[in-house]
Amino acid sequence: MMNSLVQAILLGGYYALIACGLAFMFQVMRIINLAHGSLAILSAYLVWEITDALALSPFISVLMILPIMAIIGLLLQRVILERATKGGELLPVLTTFGLAIVIDNLLFQQFGANTRSLSPYLGDLSWESYEVFGLWIGKLPVIVLITAIVIIGGLDLILRFTPLGRQIRATAFDPDTAGLVGIDARKIAGISAAIAMMTVAISGTALGLRGTFDAYAGGPQLLFAFEATIIGGASSLWGVFMGGIILAIAQSIGALIHPQGFLLGGHFMFLIFLFARIYFNRDVFSLKHWLSKRNEKENAA
Amino acid sequence: MLSVSNLDVRYGQFRAVQGVSMNIDQGDIVSLIGANGAGKSTLLRAIAGALPIHSGRVSFKQHDVTTTSSSALVKQGLSLVPEGRRLFADMTVEENLLLGTTVKRSGDWSIERIFATFPNLVKRRHAKTGNLSGGEQQATAIGRALMSNPDCLILDEVSLGLSPLVVDQVYASIDSLKDAGTTILLVEQDLERAIRFSHRAICMLEGKIVLDKLTNDTNKEEITHAYFGLQQSKHQEASQ
Ligand SMILES: Nc1ncnc2c1ncn2[C@@H]1O[C@H](COP(=O)(O)OP(=O)(O)OP(=O)(O)O)[C@@H](O)[C@H]1O
Ligand SMILES: [Mg+2]
Repeated sequence: MMNSLVQAILLGGYYALIACGLAFMFQVMRIINLAHGSLAILSAYLVWEITDALALSPFISVLMILPIMAIIGLLLQRVILERATKGGELLPVLTTFGLAIVIDNLLFQQFGANTRSLSPYLGDLSWESYEVFGLWIGKLPVIVLITAIVIIGGLDLILRFTPLGRQIRATAFDPDTAGLVGIDARKIAGISAAIAMMTVAISGTALGLRGTFDAYAGGPQLLFAFEATIIGGASSLWGVFMGGIILAIAQSIGALIHPQGFLLGGHFMFLIFLFARIYFNRDVFSLKHWLSKRNEKENAA
Repeated sequence: MLSVSNLDVRYGQFRAVQGVSMNIDQGDIVSLIGANGAGKSTLLRAIAGALPIHSGRVSFKQHDVTTTSSSALVKQGLSLVPEGRRLFADMTVEENLLLGTTVKRSGDWSIERIFATFPNLVKRRHAKTGNLSGGEQQATAIGRALMSNPDCLILDEVSLGLSPLVVDQVYASIDSLKDAGTTILLVEQDLERAIRFSHRAICMLEGKIVLDKLTNDTNKEEITHAYFGLQQSKHQEASQ
């Protein structure tokens, strides 16, 4: 029981990692990028290719694809999203859906149906574990969880305390007025897409390190990212982190109840949060809401 | 400094600004006057690059800026304080002001000078602008524009929704810009104040300029007539 909980939290770290890029793009650009999962798989293949060809550690290869994915993000914004957003709310959804299908099929043509994994390139690290209170905790999942915390924390700090972060928030809040104070909304959108794609590169790599992937694995990754984002509430990145953990816990509870219940448990939790968000005051889920309530009570007292 | 010729701005088929031309020199203080819906905000937003221009030309410092984006115009020294303040409500006063430095134009304005100019903001420095009073919000909006060290400042409805006392304070702070040689174009509903404060009054009616005179050469009556479009009817009465 305790073991499943710990494993779920570690898995939740991966979900948070894959979700944060999706949520970031939604928060900043109001775009739901349906090609998110496919782009993560593309990154995983790129890392695999580089690792295999140059006999490098996957941890080095991922650093090499970060700039590649950043440029892909910039192009995605300039060539596709910028035009699509001019055509209304639905068009970006349709175009990124189309892009996802194109990427999946290109990957299938290039790499075939075989599953791949990055873990063979890790040596001992792929199975090494810490023993804590009688539980065996894999080093790699811990690394992924810590990476998620570092990336989400880093993005959060950038958004809060740097000029770039302020400009990103201002553009998200009111793009017209952002222009009037001198913010180049186009530049900001490009940078945001590049940042989101760098997180995608890292999460694709994390997927490949933790297990296996194939050309059509993008769909499920998108689904996990989307579910974690909705559960956590798209408005804050730490919320999304919690969303990833809650999703993973729901999945493992599902698996305890029934051997086939892993995915169902997650979907069930997702639906509960989705309906609750639609029918109740969405604030109820945020930490801030409860904190401010407590402050009000204290002030009143 | 700022020159507009034959400007047309449309919302779909509707011509909100029609054939407007005007010339504003360096250091001019100009009041734009007109009834609700006359097209003042539309004109100012189009000049500032926040609305597409249907036809006509805008030039700023001898360069054509008809199709220049709003952010590029801020960089060249033209800032608009939009109607309704349009602050970033979930950010603090300080963060809103810092956003004004995005273009990194050099000049005299710093955060500390803004707080010296608008002392009412000092204790609100770290408050979210969504929770401020109207006067504090207006001061923040003006401060945010000043942080870009503009050569030409455009203010849309400075005094809307403010108490007379606060309006005086706001005008006193804009007054200090006059001495620095900043060109100012502002929308003011209070005619007396507009005449007192500015060198020139431009009156708009239904998207067109119907009066453009130095404030010394005109008076409240003449502007009021232009404001309501009474000039023609007076001529008609006279000819009858
Ligand atoms: N976004 C818009 N879409 C369509 N029509 C608009 C829009 N904004 C303004 N208008 C119309 O354009 C005309 C001019 O509006 P504008 O806001 O420029 O007037 P204004 O002189 O600034 O008025 P006010 O004193 O009320 O601020 C009005 O008839 C208004 O209804
Ligand atoms: Mg107006």
